[in-house]
Amino acid sequence: MRVLVVEDEKKTASFVRKALQAEGFAVDICHNGDDALAAASATPFDALVLDIMLPGRDGLGVLRVLRERKNMTPVLLLSARGEVNERVEGLNAGADDYLPKPFELAELVARVRALMRRSGENKSTTLRVADLTLDTLTHKAQRGGAEIELTAREYRLLEFLMRSAGRLCGRMMILEKVWDYNFDPGTNLVDVYVRRVREKIDANFEPKLLHTVRGSGYVLKETP
Amino acid sequence: MTIRTRLSLWYASIMFIALMVMGVLLYYQLVIEPRQEAQRHHREQDEESVDPDVFEDVTGIVFSCGIPAALLAVAGGWWLMKKSLSPIASLTRATERITAQNLGERLSRTDNGDELDRLTEVFNSMLARLDDSFNRIREFTLHASHELKTPLTVLRGETETALRDESLSLAERERADSQLEELHRLTKIVDGLTLLAKADAGQVALNLEVIPLDELVRDNFADLQILAEPQAIKVELAACEKISVRGDRHRLRQLLLNLADNAVKYNQPQGTVTMSLHRAGDVAEFKISNTGAGIPAEVLPRVFDRFYRGDAAHGNAVDGCGLGLSIAQWIVSAHNGSVKIESGSAKLVTVTVRLPIVETK
Repeated sequence: MRVLVVEDEKKTASFVRKALQAEGFAVDICHNGDDALAAASATPFDALVLDIMLPGRDGLGVLRVLRERKNMTPVLLLSARGEVNERVEGLNAGADDYLPKPFELAELVARVRALMRRSGENKSTTLRVADLTLDTLTHKAQRGGAEIELTAREYRLLEFLMRSAGRLCGRMMILEKVWDYNFDPGTNLVDVYVRRVREKIDANFEPKLLHTVRGSGYVLKETP
Repeated sequence: MTIRTRLSLWYASIMFIALMVMGVLLYYQLVIEPRQEAQRHHREQDEESVDPDVFEDVTGIVFSCGIPAALLAVAGGWWLMKKSLSPIASLTRATERITAQNLGERLSRTDNGDELDRLTEVFNSMLARLDDSFNRIREFTLHASHELKTPLTVLRGETETALRDESLSLAERERADSQLEELHRLTKIVDGLTLLAKADAGQVALNLEVIPLDELVRDNFADLQILAEPQAIKVELAACEKISVRGDRHRLRQLLLNLADNAVKYNQPQGTVTMSLHRAGDVAEFKISNTGAGIPAEVLPRVFDRFYRGDAAHGNAVDGCGLGLSIAQWIVSAHNGSVKIESGSAKLVTVTVRLPIVETK
């Protein structure tokens, strides 16, 4: 898995590289838009992490040229401006995801992983992790044969966690997918909801499936 | 007393005195002098020719003509004053319209080179200077919050990278954790500051559409239930009428969540939060009240101020960035609404948000 990180701020580029390498990615770095365009055209990357504010050709410019050239490499945009309009503009230009700065490192890694999975997403109507199943048509959850009652929001949270099973889900990501908030509301809403879902799916069962990754988010998986 | 009334009265009095003087002079010229003349002529002739009624006649004329004339003078003066003062009145109205939000506006000049034109000019140049310094402050805040983001990104990233190091001792880990916590807080402050600075500069575009406010409130109530649970706070949705408003969905949700979060944060264990959405004429009225310590009356007017913290929030008892209510207030005013906060004797704090209703078929 090879990722191109385009970021003019050297320190940011450096820790993003470290974090992605720690997760087993091969990482290339460019510090400006033109280099990035050349690199992306020469090498097939699995994903691009692209800062919008770059010297010379900016991130959105790079993205547009890539898409014109029919280069469909998944792109995660980074931006220090963090405006709703910018996000919309980025997605319209062909980006797959958008993350405002300053971001949580784990959040960035989780999103890069999600980008690569996006194409091969699980289309099945029954999601399964260990003996926990979720029917996406009837919205019914079961564990060990026992039915679990879920509210609409709890269902959406569990569905998201199960679709991303085995991968870290950052708080911002959860807020975006489950609540459709693209701002950080500064509440512990996610934590409280996760706690409730955990009570329902884990309290009376072994092994525990829903794990907290300290300071970063949550992951649903069989082995801790 | 307005200048207009004062000047009219002065004018009328002067007019009245002038008329009286004129009356006296006329009396002297038309009555006294001819009479003396006549007396000289007819001194030797019959003595019965002096007419004693002439004196009363003239006094009568002076009064019966003088008073209506004076009244006419009052009316004329009133009109004249209105005419001469109307540029000042319009100047006042124009100045009233100008607030910190539209300092770019200028008063229109009459261009006839009079004193008022000069005054308008002075006003306009003062406005230009004010506008300039306001803009500088806004730009400064905006740039400052942007500039803070890059080092903040690096700091957060490097602290998180450090935390991944398995060989970290417990003490080191705790230190890094605490730093990270503060960095999160700093991020929230910078985010809030950026939003408000952009809003001040008119750079936040709202994505306006017709929004079923009742659905947003129900949704928000569900979140409130969850937020309130850990402290065993009772929540109630007293009313939720079907109402639509024109607004930005994300911002309105941010507003509602912000208020719900405050109502829980500043509450007491086993307290209550009551929410309601009513139609009040042509506005939607959203109310949320919570029990808790209450807010002292002298503090109330300041709770919407940026970074203002009441005593209750000091000492880190409640975590927040100090910008929540300022952001809420901005969202409401960007939707042409109003927000007010009250704290009754029962230590109940009520926030009322009013937004213009959009009628849907």
